Amino acid sequence: MKKKSGLFRLVDVLLLLMTVLPIVCGMVIKVLTKPAAEGIEISGAGIFFTIKLPLQDLPITESQVNSWLVIVSVFFLCLYLTHGLATVPNLRRQHLVEWGIEKVENMVNENMGEYFHNFVPFVAAIMVLSAFSSLLTLVGLYPPTSDLNVVAGWAVLVFFLITYYKFKCGPAYYLKSFAEPVAFLAPINIISEFATPVSMAFRHYGNVLSGTVISVLVASGLQGISAMVFGNLSGIIGEVPFFQIGIPAVLSIYFDIFSGCLQAFIFAMLTMLYVSSAFPSDEYEERRRKKLNRQKAAS
Amino acid sequence: MQPSEVISVNIWQILISLCNLLILFLILKKLLYKPVKKAMADRQQSIDDRYSAAKKAEELAEQSKAEYEDKLKNAGSEAKSIVKSATDKANRRSDKIIADAKEKADVIVKQAKNEAELEKKKAVADVHKEIVEVSAMLTEKILEREITSADHRDFIDSFIKEIGDENDGNK
Repeated sequence: MKKKSGLFRLVDVLLLLMTVLPIVCGMVIKVLTKPAAEGIEISGAGIFFTIKLPLQDLPITESQVNSWLVIVSVFFLCLYLTHGLATVPNLRRQHLVEWGIEKVENMVNENMGEYFHNFVPFVAAIMVLSAFSSLLTLVGLYPPTSDLNVVAGWAVLVFFLITYYKFKCGPAYYLKSFAEPVAFLAPINIISEFATPVSMAFRHYGNVLSGTVISVLVASGLQGISAMVFGNLSGIIGEVPFFQIGIPAVLSIYFDIFSGCLQAFIFAMLTMLYVSSAFPSDEYEERRRKKLNRQKAAS
Repeated sequence: MQPSEVISVNIWQILISLCNLLILFLILKKLLYKPVKKAMADRQQSIDDRYSAAKKAEELAEQSKAEYEDKLKNAGSEAKSIVKSATDKANRRSDKIIADAKEKADVIVKQAKNEAELEKKKAVADVHKEIVEVSAMLTEKILEREITSADHRDFIDSFIKEIGDENDGNK
């Protein structure tokens, strides 16, 4: 391994600092603006201010701000990871990045096929944004994924992609696909078409939010149990919620880390499956072959 | 700061979130995926280049090896022929030298023989001469009398013969 120069190290440290800085900013903003919750309180994202817009006012909420912070953080993380990229890798981070990209590539190739190799960064973006957003709970920030609007935005984008690939064989073929397998099922097909993004959004949002809700319920329940068991003891011992030590951490490992990463994976997986199944590859291939033949015949 | 509803749908928020995902997609694509893929492709390219170069070098080495083996084979026979011609030459030369030496030796021996012969003859002549002188002296000294020529001759002859025998016995 080559020895890094001083400048290289400096840039490294700066980039890492810029990666961590947005998250720290988020924590500072939360501490400054949000009062400590009293008792059980389950609410949506806090609203900083509201922008007047036609159709509907736009409240700038914690989930918006936090997802921007995640994007900024990931932006600098990307710069850090690609800093010192070499044809012959001499940095550990390059091995890590290449390993990750290869994993995502394999996943995309297995689930979508070679035609969709452009989807690798998109799938990676979904996974990174979702996972990082959910993992924000680890530092006490409001996870944007537990806001329905955030996840709905992603689901709508996926819906656009699905529709775009269904249109690949022309609008006639797209309309005909609703009459499969029999014509009178068309209304159900249309409903299922719109149900896809809705179910995706609600699945992701519900999982993350339910994790938060259960965590809060368990934490407050444990507080109650400790008050019941130790409440009769005099002095400070009676006021310390002993049962809140350790047990919520186990839940947090499941709901924050495991569930957060799993939901990111599931959302990416569903995106891949829906988009690839929306694309009528056989029909498309056949049409292209026919077109080529026609061109050959013409020339 | 007041909290919003747990479930609230806001079109603008959805739109913003959609844009967020698109922005992150672009960030990942431009800053992470493309450069890393490029580095990997470059690496693959350089590995391929090296492999093909190595293959080429191997082929070249194989070719020159065959060439050298061929040459080596020829060199063996060539060396053999050179050695053979050299030996032949040397043999011829040595034969000639030996023959010359023999000739010379023969000449020397012949000369020596001739010389010896001459010496012998000279010696014999000398002896004869001396004998004649001695006999003349003897005849003068011992026989102060008249002797017949026949007596004289007989006496000398017998004397010479005696001396010759003595000489032969000494040899």
